[in-house]
Amino acid sequence: MTSEGQRSGGGRWLRLHSPNVRVCHWINVIACVYLFLSGVHIFLDFPELYWGHTGYQGHPAIFKLSDWGLSWDEAGVLGNRMWGRNYHFTFAWVFLINGLVYAGWNLARGHFRRNMLPRRTELTRRHLWAELCEHLRWPRRTHESTHRYGTLQKLSYMLLIFVYVPLMVLTGIAQSPGITAAVPQLLDMFGGRQTARSLHTFGTVLLVLFVVVHLLEVAAAGVVNRVRSMFTGNLRVPEGES
Amino acid sequence: MSQRISRRVLLGGIPGLGGLLLTGCSRDMFVPPQVRGGLVGAADMLTMGTNRFLQRDQPLAREYQRSDISHPFPTWAQTNPPDEEYQRLRRGGFTEWRLPVSGLVERPVTLSLDDIKRLPARTQITAHVCEQGWSAIGEWTGPQLQRVLEEAGGAGPSARYVVFHTYDGWYESIDMFEVAHPQTILAYRLNGEELPMGNGAPLRLRVERQCGYKNVKFLKSIEVVDSVAGYGKGAGGISADYGFHWFAGV
Repeated sequence: MTSEGQRSGGGRWLRLHSPNVRVCHWINVIACVYLFLSGVHIFLDFPELYWGHTGYQGHPAIFKLSDWGLSWDEAGVLGNRMWGRNYHFTFAWVFLINGLVYAGWNLARGHFRRNMLPRRTELTRRHLWAELCEHLRWPRRTHESTHRYGTLQKLSYMLLIFVYVPLMVLTGIAQSPGITAAVPQLLDMFGGRQTARSLHTFGTVLLVLFVVVHLLEVAAAGVVNRVRSMFTGNLRVPEGES
Repeated sequence: MSQRISRRVLLGGIPGLGGLLLTGCSRDMFVPPQVRGGLVGAADMLTMGTNRFLQRDQPLAREYQRSDISHPFPTWAQTNPPDEEYQRLRRGGFTEWRLPVSGLVERPVTLSLDDIKRLPARTQITAHVCEQGWSAIGEWTGPQLQRVLEEAGGAGPSARYVVFHTYDGWYESIDMFEVAHPQTILAYRLNGEELPMGNGAPLRLRVERQCGYKNVKFLKSIEVVDSVAGYGKGAGGISADYGFHWFAGV
């Protein structure tokens, strides 16, 4: 992941992100923003969630937006399922192809195995607890903002990439009458189309939380330096830091 | 290791593609009648192509048990077309309702509701999947569309789409791949009873592998055509003219 670059000023530059990671990251940002906005549009056009194979107005719901102060009609004015569907499926393809390129490339290059797979010694309860305590300390110790992934970071990225994303794709296509005709196992996997739709929506909320934490972490580690490194690949390490 | 995986994927993919070519699948199977521009149009084709590749052996949409049926079956959009002719036919119990089957068929024919009820019927308990997000299960009964076209001597070799006109002023179309599917029926019965008005009396289309907006209600006439360019804005249906993807498999 890192190689030492030239020294400049009062510090040195570390080669942090490969071109593949940088390009895929920003394409992913665009795709996720569109997926989120278009998903909200689709949801607002039918702002209730159900469990099982069926769900419609009048059917017992597990979530109703009207319980939260936004009536069906008000939501309908805000949402637009046509715009939502067109852009959701378009950027689902962008997201999927970009994700496969990213995952395939970095599996082949060993990036996941080398830098993101937690080592056995990192997975002990004591180590994880110590790292969590250290991580939540404020103000942060400077040596924490280094160029290596922490165990918690490794775990969240691995879960995100290899568990969360596949589940979001599967709960998405489990709602399609065309795909479930050919692959009915998708319906059984989640216990019904409406369950898949609800999980897909809850997953969206989880992703928003992830992005909030992700942005807070970037802020804590130095916005300019970190965002710049996602464009140029290089992270500036001040004098005296490892 | 990555090389081994890619080879396996490749070897698995070749018979699939070969099968597709051998079964004589046409371009229509993968491409909508009017391709939209830009990224959205490219995604349309990927979506339709993926669906149709998975559906190449015409699998049936899941059929459920009687106990799964949703009561009462929801109604959406138009539930009582204000069309004068429709209202007259409805008052007469649809005895005077007729379905013209015309276009690229051997001998155009006009069928009464009794004619259609005399044809061998298929009964299927399936999920209606609305593009809005809701879904409900109902038991639909009616002849396969393919069988109805046979009453007119069958679709000719140049047939590419079947266009449906309805009493609520809609038109919609499906391609011959969807026509050939065993679950593509014209339903006159829902849950064992005459099709209720809210669900499209006297006859509606059931296309079980596509979303709600393809399953048009209140059928008025059927045309077999080689192009949908002459209808509406040419996208193949009112919803598609308006901006929805013509292929409603997702």
